[in-house]
Amino acid sequence: MSDQFAYPSDREASSAAKVAALEALLVEKGIITGQTVDKVLAYFESEMTPLNGKKIVVKAWNDPEFAARVVVDTPAAVAELDLPEGMAGAEGEHLQAVANAPGVHNLVICTLCSCFPWPVLGLPPYWYKDPVFRARAAREPRKVLGEIGVELPDDTEIKVWDSSGHSRWFVIPERPEGTEDFTDEMLMDLVTTESMMGVALAGPAS
Amino acid sequence: MKLQHYLGGLEGLPEPLNLEKRVFVEEWEKRIFGIHVAMMGLSNHLSSALPAYPIEDVPTAFHHEWTWASLRTGAEAMNPFDYFKFRYYEKWLGGITSFFVEQGYVTDEELAAKAASNVPTESNAASPAIDDQIEQYLRKGDSPRRDVAHPRFAPGDRVRVTDVPAAAHTRVPGYLRSHVGTVERVFEGDYAYFCHTGDGIGDPMPIYIVEFSPTELWGARAEPSPNSVYAELFEAYLQPIEEDQ
Repeated sequence: MSDQFAYPSDREASSAAKVAALEALLVEKGIITGQTVDKVLAYFESEMTPLNGKKIVVKAWNDPEFAARVVVDTPAAVAELDLPEGMAGAEGEHLQAVANAPGVHNLVICTLCSCFPWPVLGLPPYWYKDPVFRARAAREPRKVLGEIGVELPDDTEIKVWDSSGHSRWFVIPERPEGTEDFTDEMLMDLVTTESMMGVALAGPAS
Repeated sequence: MKLQHYLGGLEGLPEPLNLEKRVFVEEWEKRIFGIHVAMMGLSNHLSSALPAYPIEDVPTAFHHEWTWASLRTGAEAMNPFDYFKFRYYEKWLGGITSFFVEQGYVTDEELAAKAASNVPTESNAASPAIDDQIEQYLRKGDSPRRDVAHPRFAPGDRVRVTDVPAAAHTRVPGYLRSHVGTVERVFEGDYAYFCHTGDGIGDPMPIYIVEFSPTELWGARAEPSPNSVYAELFEAYLQPIEEDQ
């Protein structure tokens, strides 16, 4: 391998020092405050987490009329629920849900960047931002899904949604069989960020 | 032509896929994420956003526009081999730092001196109103919707994706260029974009969901299964099909 792809040995320490220096200077110069970054992070850690998406999914599982509404006018349906203020805020201005069904599996990608529905799913995991996923899922979604443990029947249609416009997409996964008696809390445990983007099915955490 | 615009469908990449579920893989990545969000929440264009934020009254020294388009324009301007070499937030750190240097907010010398020292940040008199504005932006957003829709196309129409050369930034995925799809849905409203990209978008216009068949896009390289690809495309990226050609 040529040096073209060599990384410096202090790769992470160097980046950590650089960002610390940048943040310190931005504070000194009055661009942000000494609390700004921590407050931004706290917003996502405490309020804008996948718990919001889990509640939306479980509501759809328990309420067929809501399930019908949430894929037609997602912002209005989400606004019915008791979720933190900001579901239509940054990166949630135009939420759009798509629902899996027998014979239909939805997969959300963003080949140009990494558009992600922050208010309902929190911040995107690394796999979603990975150029390898973004490149491969566009052409060979069934193969990619198989590699990460999602085996679909051959006749199941995979719908790939490329987030190239204004909408921020998420998936309502199918409710697993045998969960009719589950409480909402038990049902929410079956829903992951990955299942709400289509790279996993709802089910017990693996 | 920029490789970053043509990621979709690129072959020869690692298998099997590694599903890294962490949001941040290094602690320092959180800091650059927070800085980027702060810049978006303080961007001077927000005075004309919906809602109209009182940006002029916010006591920050930041006086530029900074949106997703700014970040992406930087990413799309990178050496494409570096684009693949560096991790997601490494690219953010490089692009955002360059912006602050180029706009004169900080100098390379200041950054180097600060990074070499362990001098604690001098407290400043920055007002909590800065953080309040950022929180307002996070909770209320910056919708690009501007008007009722004036759509040229209707569901069921066959359309061809334009092949206008991309400039510094685009929202048309490269793998869709010149391909034919079917309008599946017309969104309510017209939608602006953060900037005029030079390839047709910026002013308010309709957005469509267009369905493409994998064989239209990939030919014999498509997966042999009943799949569909949907993209959201601004009207400027679509042209009508001349059915009788």
